[in-house]
Amino acid sequence: MKKLISIFVLAAFLISNTASAHEMVPTYPVLKQSYVDGLYVTTMTMFNKRPEVEYYEIGVYDSNWDPIDFVSNYKIWKIPYLSTVSFDIYLRAEDKYKVTYICSRSKLRKSEKSRTAVSSRICSKVKKIGED
Amino acid sequence: MFKTKFTIVATALLVTNLCGLAVAAQTPINGTVQSRCIIQTDTAGTYANPNAYTLTTSPTDGGELARIRVDVSLANAYYVEITAPTEFSSSPNLPDVVSWTGDTTVDAVSDATNMGDYETNKVEIGMKDRYDMTATGSTWFKTSSVATMGGSKAFPGGNYTSIVEAECIAQ
Repeated sequence: MKKLISIFVLAAFLISNTASAHEMVPTYPVLKQSYVDGLYVTTMTMFNKRPEVEYYEIGVYDSNWDPIDFVSNYKIWKIPYLSTVSFDIYLRAEDKYKVTYICSRSKLRKSEKSRTAVSSRICSKVKKIGED
Repeated sequence: MFKTKFTIVATALLVTNLCGLAVAAQTPINGTVQSRCIIQTDTAGTYANPNAYTLTTSPTDGGELARIRVDVSLANAYYVEITAPTEFSSSPNLPDVVSWTGDTTVDAVSDATNMGDYETNKVEIGMKDRYDMTATGSTWFKTSSVATMGGSKAFPGGNYTSIVEAECIAQ
């Protein structure tokens, strides 16, 4: 009986806590030769469960966190609440061994309240060509 | 005659059923669970203004701490960095320099046995706290922030926002 009550309380807690989340997969993307010669591509998927956030910015970095040029449809994606977006990131062949991180960062709107806001950033680590 | 027909029908039914069973046994259900890190904002945090020259998220002063939950589904694959604010992202014009203090601590974990040492093993680099996520599950972090106006001058009336940055980085 006690166990049942605990489960009920835990379930009620989880349901009542409307947490908002930011998620990006895969954690270890792999670069593949694209249909354009000299360009490599990988596909990322983002899910937005943050009702207060609509836009996410994409960044690509080397191992020292220096930015690397890339091409995607947008650098700032509009991802409505509870929706998923998949997008391709194209990189130059000369950068294929340098690229280390692909990150997405939430873009926050100005608020009318004195508060701290939480900016979330998720970075995937690119598997180098030939890595398992 | 009837007996022969019955036998044929029964045999057919049996064969059909066996085929069905065989087909059912061979129908795969495929699924892939990708390793992932999810950053969730439980509470964004609120500043209280206990005196003219201080803004604080301390609950004892009426503020609210930022509370962030991080879920990881693969052990030793991520580290989490949480940075307390060091500036306002939006504020009225300020009369002096603001000094900042802030800290992040582990508030709760879903697996006390394997995550119990997250707080003691964290690496603090200024306002940034770095945690190695060595186990799968959920971790709740709390971040405090205090902004003090230089020269004990008063914060001008208006809205103030600062950013707590939560990062989940694949190792």
